[in-house]
Amino acid sequence: MNEMEAKDEIRLIQEMIERTKKITSGSWMFFLVWGIVIILGIAGMYALVFIEKFSWIWLNWIVFVGIGVVFSIVYGRKFEKIEGAKTYPYIATAHVCFACGMAFMLVGFIFPLLKLYSWGLIAVFISLVTGILVFTLGGIYEWNLLKWCGVIWWLGAVGMVFIHENYRALVVIPLLLVGYIMPALVLRSMYRKQSD
Amino acid sequence: MQPEKFGQLDPVIHSRIRLAVLSILISVKEASFNYLKETIGTTDGNLSASISKLEEAGYISIKKSFKGKKPLTTCRISEKGRNAFSAYLKALETYVSFKK
Repeated sequence: MNEMEAKDEIRLIQEMIERTKKITSGSWMFFLVWGIVIILGIAGMYALVFIEKFSWIWLNWIVFVGIGVVFSIVYGRKFEKIEGAKTYPYIATAHVCFACGMAFMLVGFIFPLLKLYSWGLIAVFISLVTGILVFTLGGIYEWNLLKWCGVIWWLGAVGMVFIHENYRALVVIPLLLVGYIMPALVLRSMYRKQSD
Repeated sequence: MQPEKFGQLDPVIHSRIRLAVLSILISVKEASFNYLKETIGTTDGNLSASISKLEEAGYISIKKSFKGKKPLTTCRISEKGRNAFSAYLKALETYVSFKK
């Protein structure tokens, strides 16, 4: 073997490793669907408040979160089969999303039901956990935009403290648009460019 | 030229397709036969022969199952394969860094 052949082999190795990274940008669909589901959940919640059906608010969230969970499971399995490989970023992402999902259940449902704190603090804690999720995904994907989105979520959580508890959930909508749906659309265009 | 400065290239890995297979498997937990074939851009026959050779050497493990009614072959790199790939990379570096 000579130096040129060795460099050629090193290039081949690098190219194969780069090709495995294509998979991760296909996960934009999870971001988009969850962003839309939560916005609809917030809209549903305020609609129920408007018509004074307060006892149905929990059901509203069970329905929308349930849709998100079912989608994640079904699409996650299909996504894995289509792509044909389990990458380590994908495995890490799946675990982080599951862990944050459990945290969402606790701070969004269980702890308020146990009257640990008032419902007015739910949006603050949800934003805090979402910031952790998005920032960590930014680290896994090595994507600074997502890390900054995580910081935006944390700043949103702090900002909510100064807003009346009746309106805190509304702040989640612009946070979702900027810190969840926008990166989903960017990731989607990256995935489509790679697929071409 | 001083031949003793060059690393020993593992003949099992020293093939374009087998090197490509290990490069992919080092980056993922597991990969299907079709994924390897599409990513590398090779034929069924060439890939099949390559993964058989890697399996014989103990560098990868192969699991055969079914996806519905279609057979599914999934490959994973072994610890021996990781060490062999790492040694191969070090040997390659001696060819690249050698100054005449």
